[in-house]
Amino acid sequence: MSGPSHTVLLLTFARRGEEAAIQNALTALAERVPGARVIAVGTPVSAPVLRALGIADILVYGDGKSARQVIEEAQLFMPEVAAIIYDHPRFAAHLKLEALALAIGVRTILRFLPSPPLPRPETIGRFRLALSVMAKGLQMLFRLCVGMAATALACSYLCWYGRSRGGRGASRT
Amino acid sequence: MRATLIIINHNGRHLLETSLPAAVVAARAAGDHAVMVADDASTDDSLEFVSLDFPEVQFLAFPRGGFGRTCNRAVEAAETEAAVLLNNDVVVTEDFLPPLLADLADETVFAVGCKFLNPDGSLTHALGNRVSGEWRRDLLYLHHETDPAQLTETCPQLYANGGGMAFRRRAWEALGGFDDLYLPIYWEDADLGYRAWGRGWRVLYEPASVVYHDQGSTMGRIQRLPQVELISARNAVLFTWKNLLDRGQFRRTLAAQSRWVADDVLVGGLPNRMRALLAATKRLALAARCRARELRERTVSDEEILKRARGESA
Repeated sequence: MSGPSHTVLLLTFARRGEEAAIQNALTALAERVPGARVIAVGTPVSAPVLRALGIADILVYGDGKSARQVIEEAQLFMPEVAAIIYDHPRFAAHLKLEALALAIGVRTILRFLPSPPLPRPETIGRFRLALSVMAKGLQMLFRLCVGMAATALACSYLCWYGRSRGGRGASRT
Repeated sequence: MRATLIIINHNGRHLLETSLPAAVVAARAAGDHAVMVADDASTDDSLEFVSLDFPEVQFLAFPRGGFGRTCNRAVEAAETEAAVLLNNDVVVTEDFLPPLLADLADETVFAVGCKFLNPDGSLTHALGNRVSGEWRRDLLYLHHETDPAQLTETCPQLYANGGGMAFRRRAWEALGGFDDLYLPIYWEDADLGYRAWGRGWRVLYEPASVVYHDQGSTMGRIQRLPQVELISARNAVLFTWKNLLDRGQFRRTLAAQSRWVADDVLVGGLPNRMRALLAATKRLALAARCRARELRERTVSDEEILKRARGESA
């Protein structure tokens, strides 16, 4: 995998303070795909971080742009490789990054698992990535159901108990 | 006004070596004030250290109770009009006490918090300086002022950090002290401040009362542990269940908490939010009793509490 004509799509929701981790990933990526042009997909928060690392082409997701628009813009670059950096600590962010990589339809997908200090990219097939997206989606659904059940129980019990034992207090002041 | 400086200790003999002499000096410099070490079932030689080297300091050994319960026991045992709670890793300056007591002379003030600095003189982030709060979708988010230029005058704040706060004992007793709901630690001081504002008292930040906090010595180290993060997240949920009385906001917040659980924080692979919510559910009955008390005794609305704590209204 080499040659100056390659375009690599970098998918990351990095934030300030994570420059070193992203730089390490970029270095590892440059070894894997030498001379490639890097296009990044990030958020309004990650865009300045990526710019500071010398990435000029950034598609900003979540800044008035829908996921569909970002996917279509990314497809125009016809990237051969997509690299996912799992830097964001939240579950939904991981799911979105993987879903974006799948939807853009890139042939080769690399991922940098959060294993500092030296992240190494590993190739993941589209089928495995699709399974990962499905598993994460189901897990989120399960968590949402558990969360709804627990908060519904809490809300009902607290409201019932408050009505039976509480007073007017300041809740309506 | 006489005060008792209460240092909460658990296996912190090495920390007392620095913090206790500073407290004794400050108590003497400000007049006739007492110093107490409230020990939460230490197994090190804290008792020997205090009784041999500081015979004038009262050492009270309590059975294991966690931070909040030990504070409550110590405050109950104190005999002065005012008390000052100090972490054992907080080193006070010689003149930290008079500004706190001057603020407490105002009967509308429940508590006053110190200015927390790192040993190098920068603002510490582990213990908050001038804290304000905001109800967002799922929880109460706390904001700690980080701009030194904003920390030059006495001003309201949402709560005084339990690591360095002065208060009048009568008001503490009226509020019931730290709530057992949050045992062993975290959010009990935020809860106390919120309740104080809710009953019409004020909580202040006093920049003239400077204390130093060595973040690396205790909490800074343990805050990274997943178990500690879990307790903190659980208590954030319990705080909402207990204190948010505005009905519309309460329902919206609880609905948002289920989405909060779905989008978990992946720290070391642990699904912390779901575990935190389930752990909070185990304390639901206690939270309901505490909430019922708030419903009976609160005189200020949730919105007004946060406004007043930001200094935006009377």
